[in-house]
Amino acid sequence: MRRILALTSGIFLMLFAVGSLTAAPRLEIPDETFNFGFVPQHASIAHDFWLHSTGDEELRILKVVPG
Amino acid sequence: MLAVGDSTRLEIIFDTKQYRSRMEKRPRIQTNEGPPDKTVRIIATIVDRPDSTYPVIIKPYKLDLSQFGDDVRDQVKFTISNVSEEDLAVTLQSSKKDYFTVDLPKVVKAGQTAEGTLTLTDMGTKISFAKSFTFQLSDMTGSRFTVPVKRTMRTPGVQATPAKGYGDQGKH
Repeated sequence: MRRILALTSGIFLMLFAVGSLTAAPRLEIPDETFNFGFVPQHASIAHDFWLHSTGDEELRILKVVPG
Repeated sequence: MLAVGDSTRLEIIFDTKQYRSRMEKRPRIQTNEGPPDKTVRIIATIVDRPDSTYPVIIKPYKLDLSQFGDDVRDQVKFTISNVSEEDLAVTLQSSKKDYFTVDLPKVVKAGQTAEGTLTLTDMGTKISFAKSFTFQLSDMTGSRFTVPVKRTMRTPGVQATPAKGYGDQGKH
C-alpha cells in the first residue's frame, strides 16, 4: 500500500514538474490585419488591436518595433 | 505585464505624410514569449485627391474639432456622396469610442448625398488628439474609407497641448 502511495505521489510530482517546465507565456492577436482603405495624405490615423495573454505564464510586452 | 487570461489594446498610429498609393506596415511586438516576434499588419490606400474618390466622396475628408477659446466645440457634420450607380450600405468598422461617437447614414442611395455626425465624448472635449474612424461600403469590393479626426485645444492663458500623432511620438 505504502509503495503504491509513494509511486502515485512520485508520478504526480513528476507531472507537476514537467508542467512547470513547459509553462510559457503566449500572445494571441485574433485580428492581426486592419485595412484602413482610402485615406487622405498628411493625416494621422489610428486603430486598436487587441492582444490576449493565452499562455500559462504572465506575458510581458517588451517593445513594439515600427514596421 | 499581462496576467494569464488578460487582454489589452495596442494602438497603432500611422502618419500618411505625402505617401501615395497602397501602403503596408507590419509593426513587430516583442514579448517574453521569445522569437519569432508577432506582428500586426495595417494596410492603407493613400490618396492625393480625396475630393475625387470612388464610389463615395467625403466632405470634409478630414474632421477638425480644434478649439481656440472657451466655447466647447463638440460636434461636426460631414457628408458622404455616392457617385456610383448602386445604393450603398455604410457600416462602421473602427472608431475611438473613448473620444467620439460617429453617427453614419445606414444607406447612401445612388447619386445622392447623406449626412453623418461626429460627437465628442466628455473625455474627448477635454484633450487634444489625432485619431480616425473607418467605415465600409457594401459595393462589390467592400471599399473602406478612413476619416482622420483631429482636435487641438488652446484656451486663453493655457499652453496648447499638441495632438498626439501630430508630433514625433508613436508614429509608424
